[in-house]
Amino acid sequence: MLTLDALAATRLTGFAGFLRANGFAVGGGDAVPVLQTAQRVGVLDPQVLRWSLQSLLCGRCDEWLRFDELFDAWFLPANRWQKPERREADDGALSGDRPNGPAGEHEAVDDDELRPRQAASRQEVLTSNDFRALAEREHALDIEALMRRFAREIKHIRLRREARARHGRRLDLPATIRRSVASGGTPFHLAWKDRRRVRPRLVLLIDVSRSMTLYSFFYLRLARALGAELTDVHSFIFHTRVTPVSQALRDPDPWRAQERLHLIAQGWAGGTRIGDSLAQFNREHAARIVHSRTAIIIMSDGYDTGDPQRLSDALVQLRRRARRIVWLNPLCDRPGYAPVCQGMLAAMPHLDLLAPGADLASIKAVLPNLIEALR
Amino acid sequence: MTAERGLQVAALQQTLADAGYIAERNLVAALLLMQDLGRPLLLEGDAGVGKTEVAKVLATVRNTRLIRLQCYEGLDAHAAMYEWNYQRQLLAIKLLEHDERGIAQKEQDIFSERYLLKRPLLEAISCEQPPVLLIDEVDRADEAFEAYLLELLSDFQLSIPELGTVRATSIPLVVITSNGTRELSDALRRRCLYQYIDYPDHAKELAIVRKKAPRAAAELAQQIVAFVQGVRRMEMQKKPGIAETLDWTAALLRLGITVIDKDGAERIMETLSALIKTRDDRLALPREAVARLAAAC
Repeated sequence: MLTLDALAATRLTGFAGFLRANGFAVGGGDAVPVLQTAQRVGVLDPQVLRWSLQSLLCGRCDEWLRFDELFDAWFLPANRWQKPERREADDGALSGDRPNGPAGEHEAVDDDELRPRQAASRQEVLTSNDFRALAEREHALDIEALMRRFAREIKHIRLRREARARHGRRLDLPATIRRSVASGGTPFHLAWKDRRRVRPRLVLLIDVSRSMTLYSFFYLRLARALGAELTDVHSFIFHTRVTPVSQALRDPDPWRAQERLHLIAQGWAGGTRIGDSLAQFNREHAARIVHSRTAIIIMSDGYDTGDPQRLSDALVQLRRRARRIVWLNPLCDRPGYAPVCQGMLAAMPHLDLLAPGADLASIKAVLPNLIEALR
Repeated sequence: MTAERGLQVAALQQTLADAGYIAERNLVAALLLMQDLGRPLLLEGDAGVGKTEVAKVLATVRNTRLIRLQCYEGLDAHAAMYEWNYQRQLLAIKLLEHDERGIAQKEQDIFSERYLLKRPLLEAISCEQPPVLLIDEVDRADEAFEAYLLELLSDFQLSIPELGTVRATSIPLVVITSNGTRELSDALRRRCLYQYIDYPDHAKELAIVRKKAPRAAAELAQQIVAFVQGVRRMEMQKKPGIAETLDWTAALLRLGITVIDKDGAERIMETLSALIKTRDDRLALPREAVARLAAAC
């Protein structure tokens, strides 16, 4: 086995910390496997070391895609930072070793552009909105308590279906045998098992367009609190296009969650095209995420600048995949409100429930209906 | 040592190719590392990019058994690890009624390995030779099972209350696949090596088609791959995977189509059911679109 000199070892173990600073889920304990890996594969062939460390230290797709840049930033000398290897250029070829191209081949890039970053870059900081609201202490406890209650109710739905049934389709043999002990080994009383369990999955689609400014943070905080309680929750924000935010919301560090939302939220508080956003959701995410026990909760005021026909079509398509579609409309509990705006008119025929949800109190009031609709 | 590793990667890549799997070199490097560190390999990527195939070909190349655990919603420990054969046990209790032996001995007899049904996980750790254990679509199982799995993967032992702890006689090569329908726990991700597999690029897919469908002429294979890559660039509900490409190739060969061009669009339409799997995608590919794609090949 190869022994590494002290300098190389320090450099390698520092890399894990560098990735952690860049938001990778890498722990302090990962320094040891990094060294083991380097000993196994050697440090002189940068390609093999790169691939090995990539599979060792990455845990999910977005980390996988960012890895190359960070690897270069950490290990290559300052004037040799290169663009990440393109697939077309390299992999897949059956040949043996491909020499690492000479330094001159790489594009000359401005030093500042690829300088190692200590934290996620925050170039697109939007001044109009402030994600500090996400971590605000006010109401935080109330929201958490309510979402805990909601989550518990949802878990109840699951438990009830899972329970042993008086009459079922399958004999529960372990329980039958256990019962037979009372009658000296003869199974007089049979135990049954219910056929299958049912686990509702939640998909939250949060409208963050300008007309929703007052409410969207509230909904994001709901989503964050709910995500902490249930694992099977998927959150998305949309305005003119739809963006997944579950990852960012799940970040245990509220400060970093804000950072990540900052990056995601280009176009925040712009116009709304609900139909287009839902169509995009159908195309890119629905096949993977929405199954026959998925409840979709759309949180929007329904003010749509897009084509209502498109919204209607998108909902029909979603309807076919999902079990329930619930629409929470913050304007709904205003006196005299009727769903007359184009968007709501187009959506109404396809919804299982249209409920108000402007603040905590109204969500609390509507919770029983919501649970009933999800059942 | 280092040059050696580069050679090892190239050698394994060649071996995999001989066994019919075209792998990129970063995947090969991960496969080697997986054996070095004794860690499971977590493969993510869209359906149809060849994740499951990795485990199969690994078993072939290592000349060992492939044990497969297909995950599904509601998969529990009994279905995955072990179960007592209750029917036989009940029978045995009846038969032992008139036996002279003591209760303790009878009990020991009933809870012996003879009445144990081995499910994939137990089987994988009690093999003589280290097998390849494929845990397919782990995201379909629920979190509780994931936690259970984690315990097995860290200690490679399994406790059966009536029998005691079963230690692994050999450490299996574990390949886990996920389609990303549910977020996996960080603990599981931390335990595993990770590899993201994307749709193949032109060169790789061409190599796969040439390998798996040698009957297709070089020119046709080239056109098939160009066409499929074109379809993938469109906005599809379900992008065609590698299996679809191969199915489609077979369909074209079967119908005796030897060239893909604009004039043959009508006949290509007849074979599209092998490539396009949803109604909406089918509607997005009318005759003109097919002709345009074919013309670009």
